[in-house]
Amino acid sequence: MMRMKVSMRYLVLVISLASVHPIFADDVSEGEKLFALKIQPLIAEKCLACHGGQPDDIQGGFDMRTRDSLLRGGDSFGDEVIVAGKGEESYLFLTASRAEAGYEMPPKEADRLTEEQHWSIRDWINAGAPWPDDKRIAMIQARHAQGEQVATSRALSEEWQNRRYEPEKLWAYRPLKVVDVPADQHPIDWFIDQQLEQVGLPAAPAADAVELARRMSFGFTGLPPNPKAVKTFAADYAQDMGAAAERFATELMESPHYGEHFGLRWLDVARYADSAGFANDYCRPNAWRYRDYVVRAFNNDKRYDDFIKEQIAGDELDPSDPEKLIATGFLRMGPWEQTGMSVFKETRQQWLDDVTDTVGQTFLGHALQCAKCHDHKFDPVPTRDYYSMMAVFSTTQFAEPNTPFLEVENKTGFQSSDAWVKAKVAAYEQQRKGLNEKVAQARKQETADAKVGDNGLDPGDEASLARMSKNITRHNWELDRTRPIALSVYTGNTITRKNVGGRLLLPKSPWEKGEMEKDTILAGGSAYAPTDPVIPGPLSAAVALGNMQSSEFPAGKGSRRLALANWISDEQNPLTARVIVNRIWSWHFGKGLAGNPNNFGGTGALPTHPELLDHLARWFVDNGWSIKKLNHLIVSSKSYQRSSRHPSPELLSERDSKRNLYATFLPRRLTAEELRDAMLFASGELNRQIGGIPARPDINLEVAFQPRQIMGGAASVYEPDRTPEQRNRRSLYAEKVRGLRDPFLESFNQPGPDKSCELRETSTVAPQALTLLNSQEVFERAIGFAIRLVGEDREDDATIDRAFQLALGRAPTPAERAACLKQWTLATDEESSIQHQAKSYPNEIERTVMAEKTGQPYDFVEIMPAYTDYIPDPQPADVDAKTRGLAQVCLVIFNLNEFAYLD
Amino acid sequence: MKKLNQNTYVTPTRREALFGLGAGLGSVALTSLLHGNEPDRTHHPAAAKRCIFLMMEGGPSHIDTFDPKPALTKRHLEAFTRSGDMESAMSSGKRYFVKSPFDFIKAGQSGADICTEWNHLKEWVDDICFFRGAKVDSVNHPTACYQLNTGNQFGGDPGVGAWVTYGLGTLNENLPGFVVLPRSSYPQGGAGNWSNGFLPAQFQGTPLRPTGSPILNLNPPAGVTAKRQRKNLDLLAELNRMHLAERPGRGELEARLSSYELAYRMQTEVPGILDLDGESQSTLDAYGIGDSATDKFGRKCLLARRLVESGVRFVQAYAGNWDSHDYIQKAHGSLIRSVDKPIAALLKDLKDRDMLKDTLVVWCGEFGRTPDNGLRGGGQSYGRDHNNKAMAMWFAGGGTNAGHTIGATDEIGAEAVECVHHIRDVHVTLLHLLGLDDNRLTYFHAGRHKQLSQFGGQVITELLA
Repeated sequence: MMRMKVSMRYLVLVISLASVHPIFADDVSEGEKLFALKIQPLIAEKCLACHGGQPDDIQGGFDMRTRDSLLRGGDSFGDEVIVAGKGEESYLFLTASRAEAGYEMPPKEADRLTEEQHWSIRDWINAGAPWPDDKRIAMIQARHAQGEQVATSRALSEEWQNRRYEPEKLWAYRPLKVVDVPADQHPIDWFIDQQLEQVGLPAAPAADAVELARRMSFGFTGLPPNPKAVKTFAADYAQDMGAAAERFATELMESPHYGEHFGLRWLDVARYADSAGFANDYCRPNAWRYRDYVVRAFNNDKRYDDFIKEQIAGDELDPSDPEKLIATGFLRMGPWEQTGMSVFKETRQQWLDDVTDTVGQTFLGHALQCAKCHDHKFDPVPTRDYYSMMAVFSTTQFAEPNTPFLEVENKTGFQSSDAWVKAKVAAYEQQRKGLNEKVAQARKQETADAKVGDNGLDPGDEASLARMSKNITRHNWELDRTRPIALSVYTGNTITRKNVGGRLLLPKSPWEKGEMEKDTILAGGSAYAPTDPVIPGPLSAAVALGNMQSSEFPAGKGSRRLALANWISDEQNPLTARVIVNRIWSWHFGKGLAGNPNNFGGTGALPTHPELLDHLARWFVDNGWSIKKLNHLIVSSKSYQRSSRHPSPELLSERDSKRNLYATFLPRRLTAEELRDAMLFASGELNRQIGGIPARPDINLEVAFQPRQIMGGAASVYEPDRTPEQRNRRSLYAEKVRGLRDPFLESFNQPGPDKSCELRETSTVAPQALTLLNSQEVFERAIGFAIRLVGEDREDDATIDRAFQLALGRAPTPAERAACLKQWTLATDEESSIQHQAKSYPNEIERTVMAEKTGQPYDFVEIMPAYTDYIPDPQPADVDAKTRGLAQVCLVIFNLNEFAYLD
Repeated sequence: MKKLNQNTYVTPTRREALFGLGAGLGSVALTSLLHGNEPDRTHHPAAAKRCIFLMMEGGPSHIDTFDPKPALTKRHLEAFTRSGDMESAMSSGKRYFVKSPFDFIKAGQSGADICTEWNHLKEWVDDICFFRGAKVDSVNHPTACYQLNTGNQFGGDPGVGAWVTYGLGTLNENLPGFVVLPRSSYPQGGAGNWSNGFLPAQFQGTPLRPTGSPILNLNPPAGVTAKRQRKNLDLLAELNRMHLAERPGRGELEARLSSYELAYRMQTEVPGILDLDGESQSTLDAYGIGDSATDKFGRKCLLARRLVESGVRFVQAYAGNWDSHDYIQKAHGSLIRSVDKPIAALLKDLKDRDMLKDTLVVWCGEFGRTPDNGLRGGGQSYGRDHNNKAMAMWFAGGGTNAGHTIGATDEIGAEAVECVHHIRDVHVTLLHLLGLDDNRLTYFHAGRHKQLSQFGGQVITELLA
């Protein structure tokens, strides 16, 4: 086994050279200094790629490699490029400051220079545009350079290696800086309040009990509080606010719904989906076990360092432990496929790039893809580090090994899932048999020297056969969903595969077949352009700046991922704890202390409260990497318990226009999943089972029946589960098909599963209003809600009160109650004269698609076994006029701002 | 100079504010937007104000449409070999050349090459700029479609139309700026082909469905009458106002109130635009509406014209599937017939309305096709495989170089050899024509200023008028 002492490569060499050495008689002119420190690095970074990088391809005839060639100018501007002593008249300044229309340099907006850089250019020209030689430049840089160098592994270019960073932008790599907090102070409030005092902004008072109960209930479980819990909480809260909040938090975290809700946020980062995307969008029948692993991990308060190790290297830790194999599903979450039409070398590289970048974003707060083709533009991440990190994964291979079910896993619904798949396949097989017989009879010998389609068949015959075969293959794979199999990985050689259209088994001997990949830097990121060899290794900047102990990464057949996982979860790793603590903070407060939870690099937002972040990170590690404990700490702070309304909004906008200081709690809209779950909660239809195979809720029927192309034809329609109980599960469990998103969830900003999502966005667009007003699914919830309320048999006004309690956690005001009662009466009157037809659910559908072979449309009938004995949710025809009238009021309640927003 | 950078969408134009209300938009901002003037957001004078993108999904064959290869006739059915790193399963096995089953003519004043199946379009070649130099990276449908539509083969990025509306805003307050007219079946890769990606949600392509409700949930569900809905909305507004009264200055709550009124208006206005009843019979006939061979795409072309007239910036209409691995004569023959008359009518219609000059029309698929084929079901078949190194593409109107054919492919149509450009340069050119500079139309995401071309590209000047 090849091993190498990494410490050799990371001789700690952090140089801070901010001061001028007074011993030397300074014979360096200001102009020379400007050139050596500002202009030369600027030319190298922003100009030379087009004006001198490739000597045979110099843009605009303008060569910036030497002073002489610079002074000569180019095609557009001659010697007026630099008029020594007249900076503001020189075209170098005019183009670089973007004052010369049509010649803004550099052309890319993203590369535009700062104002300070414009001034440097001007001042340098004013000083006569001096250009000292390389030796002198080195001397000047050594003596006068500002900023900080970082001892990274080795850059592609020397300039990059010697570059200097603004020290404050390296914050995330430095060891935690822990400030002592007075023993009698809550650490969060202590830091937060200091900053509020500094700007003279008083904090908002505590939230009222109902607001806080809703905030906490959604915040911890993604579900509304039940009215009883609100009542109890309000009574406790009146006695002792802090104790009440802590008690309620404990209760909520003991609920299994806690793991569901925190798990969902983790799955956003991991990009969970139940299908593979691209041309076939094959199902990933066992992905759900990873989803449930995540839920369990949060519910059991798994130590975060273990959570890291298991997801990155569970199989290397203990391949006999099903839990650990399931955990590695994390590495398989991205979209990926290999078909007969793709080149394996490329799809393999695509996965390697994807997993490297995802591990970087998820655990280290760094989008590493930026270093794939060149040393990172902003961060101390050389391309070598990118490929060293990738080398960790080059012996990682896909497999779906037998993995026994754990006792805790939910195995309900297996039978009905299999039954549906078998019925679907049987229906296709029967149709195929019929069509095969027809084709056998009708097919005429084609007379030409090759097939031209003149074969006596109808336009869609051959297309239908292909379509049915492909769908049979797709559905048969779904049978694996109920089998004890894990979506997992193993360590071994890379075996070239032409087509992956089914389960991949674990090879008997992982190093026998295939080849061990050569780990190299790829020029321009191309799988076809290997250059320098690399060995597996970590981010060298974190080692150097974080004063980490040296660590050894094995190469060859060693457990490379385990080494990386150990390195990431090392207490000394400066990034890891900060990244997770910041995520947890953002899940509570709606924004991170560092504004970009996936990006702690120079382009991410700097932390608003760096000392607090570091304090929490240290506290988190000292408290056993326990997320539940951290949650407790957060919830017990006054900062968390504050009202979202400030007594002086003007002062708030004046002193904290960006709302960075936590003077109030930031209100937020419910997520897509919370909205749907809250409706099911109110209507009493929510099935609270935890985990298990994906549920198929009712989705918009036009989308469900919308044909979509897959390789070989059109995919089967989307069929919901047969019973309301199966369908009305928490949205977390809704099957997530990459090629077919639920429009309800998508419309409320559920992120697409192709890219890691650091934080949900909230937009307000008209299609959301159309969805909540007009969709069948929401109306069915409203009817369900009305049925529940009517069934509880209260007086009308008490019924309205109850509706508000269930939906909003509070009683209505007299005005609200009156308005709702009036509407109910009116709607009931209208409904009394309306007859509703019972809806029918046909179990087959005629669809039209285009046949590839003939270029003509054809119709076919698809059987939908789910609708054979489908039990719909309650419909208008099932209930009386009074219930229907109330359903209209319930629909309005589901559309309220108050229903959708948390204070 | 305006700086379209660091995600300026937070100050949306008046019109896009209405279809897609950005989060956190306060009432003051909204009021000023309602009464403000639409600012010009272009980076340079635009040749085109809007774009109709005719997306020929599946990969139409350049060899059998606009790029004749007589050499193939001579080598018909001769053995063909291919090798190299890029070899995939598709290119293995015994391969043979396939000639085009179609005849070609030199049409118009410009003498453009066009196969005779284009019975109507051949009259319009002098308004068209054909381009033979484009290349893409992938030979796989979904990845190539994603690349053509979003610049990124692996999906997740905004569609071209999303970038354009992000850059220019929309011109109709009640309609989305980016409309997609998909086929009855969605392409491989699904709605990711017209995603807003990392751009805010209001820039997502809105598919207008060929059947059923054109926009999802445009009508109340069974069980809610229109009259009842109005009353529900009134109650909703009443209750929401009470809630808002205790939360002054909460812009996002006010914005949500307005979005309900817009949704209500859309219910009546959208069907009006989609309703073709107001069009004359001769117009319907010209587009081939009513004739089963052309009806579907004819409706899309006519709708595209109506939508751009109503102020929609970017319309993408899908036709296909052009993935003719077999029976190219039959398959491409019917596909060409299905789009030929509608496209000719669209060009004429735009010209008659003096709109072609500032409407950019683009015709292309995700890649081209090979000069050869593999064994199909054990035997030879006159079809073609996928080809990422040569493809068919043309532009009309909107400041393009009408009456010219730019670039060339090799003797057998295997690869572009003259004026060769990666698809990213086509994207850059398209934005350029619309007054947008790809290098400046950026959005900061995941640590980087993202752009349509991914890492920058160049304008293909030969395509410009």
